[in-house]
Amino acid sequence: MGDILEFFEQMGFLNMTLQQGIMLLLSFFLLYLAIKKQYEPLLLLPIAFGMLLTNLPGAGMYHSELWSAFLDANSPAYHSYGTIMREGGLLDILYIGVKAGVYPCLIFMGVGAMTDFGPLIANPKSLLLGAAAQLGIFLTFLAANSMGFTEAQAGSIGIIGGADGPTSIFLTSKLAPELLGPIAIAAYSYMALVPVIQPPIMRALTTKKERAIKMSQLRPVSKTEKIIFPIAITTIVALILPDAAPLIGCLMLGNLAKECGVVDRLSKTMQNELMNIVVIFLGLTVGATATASSFLDWSTIKIMVMGVVAFGCGTAGGILLAKLMNVFSKEKINPLIGSAGVSAVPMAARVSQQVGQEENPSNFLLMHAMGPNVAGVIGSAVAAGILLTMLG
Amino acid sequence: MMTPLVINWSHVWMVTGLGFCMVILLLVVLIFILKLLGAVVSNAVKAPKAAQPKAVAAPAAQAAPASAQASADDDLAAIAMALHLYFNGVHDVEPTEIHIKRVERSGWNSKLYGMNNLHR
Repeated sequence: MGDILEFFEQMGFLNMTLQQGIMLLLSFFLLYLAIKKQYEPLLLLPIAFGMLLTNLPGAGMYHSELWSAFLDANSPAYHSYGTIMREGGLLDILYIGVKAGVYPCLIFMGVGAMTDFGPLIANPKSLLLGAAAQLGIFLTFLAANSMGFTEAQAGSIGIIGGADGPTSIFLTSKLAPELLGPIAIAAYSYMALVPVIQPPIMRALTTKKERAIKMSQLRPVSKTEKIIFPIAITTIVALILPDAAPLIGCLMLGNLAKECGVVDRLSKTMQNELMNIVVIFLGLTVGATATASSFLDWSTIKIMVMGVVAFGCGTAGGILLAKLMNVFSKEKINPLIGSAGVSAVPMAARVSQQVGQEENPSNFLLMHAMGPNVAGVIGSAVAAGILLTMLG
Repeated sequence: MMTPLVINWSHVWMVTGLGFCMVILLLVVLIFILKLLGAVVSNAVKAPKAAQPKAVAAPAAQAAPASAQASADDDLAAIAMALHLYFNGVHDVEPTEIHIKRVERSGWNSKLYGMNNLHR
């Protein structure tokens, strides 16, 4: 009889708190969005399932208290991975990859192996649009400070404006790990909502005539240029900004493997197997950090609001700079491609193409928008490196 | 999660302004490097061509783009035809039914009528 009672006492149903119940419902909702609505399903599905696992009472797959002790200088478990391995659950052990900043870099390697930097090399001015779109990061940093977040937390919130999931996770795991769950979910949710968030801003900031501008064809880029590009960028950026080296280095390593043509097996592995495995681990563990105690908080709502502001400011920054460039440049550029300067590859470039074709169906902006789009990836990694240097 | 804190606004403004300027500056440096890279690589590609004798270089220079253009046109035509066939379902997948009609016997093909009786 005692055993039966003990069994019932250990049941999750009896130990569940209201907050955990709400989190489980939220995870079901995110699973619905991922499966039915297909909002970034590759990441949202593991994130939502991680959220489900971590909020199951008694399952013990993730222990936020262990990670709090890991960060507490007065605790015997301070920076002790041994304690995590000994006392942690499955998700704690997988989370070490996030904590050490390994997963985001490996994902960047895959992103590099799948990205064609040709449009950027053909039109280097695209880098300016990618830089201007980082305005959202810094304006949101300012706003988050005024809302009572610490500078480190504000920097992590601001990086949502870079529209780059791995970069957001990388920076947040270093500066404000306690906000990792809400920030990752905000970043990926808004990336999925790029086709909803950007077009109204694009239409509001441009005239019909500007949206109909046709751009001349990009010059062909030689293989030599494509091979030298990742080597040159890594060297220059890492020498100027060493904190950006892990992200930029991995991005460019992946790209070099793709472009050099002699390591096809490595390139394919980076693009497929490695990328997919890391996405599963990253999604699950980031979802696991969204425990009821850390997620159901006013700061989560503030982060969600500021995430939209960051996206909007980034989009506006790119478009406004494109308009400014048109004032000084002989060869006109369509300001719609400026909005692609927020990373979100290739979704943001597709949105530029769609909005451009609404005005002029014979206008093809996709390849032109890919330049600022991949420039945005470099720009957000650089911005993360700068924030890490200044606030870390 | 959040603790009341005194905001060091001068530092916040410094990070905002300096951070954004550094992003712009670094990417401007990269623009110059990419332009330089483009110029160097295109010069390196042109240099061997310029070194060739003019008499040889001229026909080659004229012939190469023409053949390249023709080849590109052929490629485009093949791609366009493949897309047309694919999207319109006009492909040469044969039905598996056999359509050989059964031969009916008649006065025109009967072996019987083809034979003459030998007059003896």
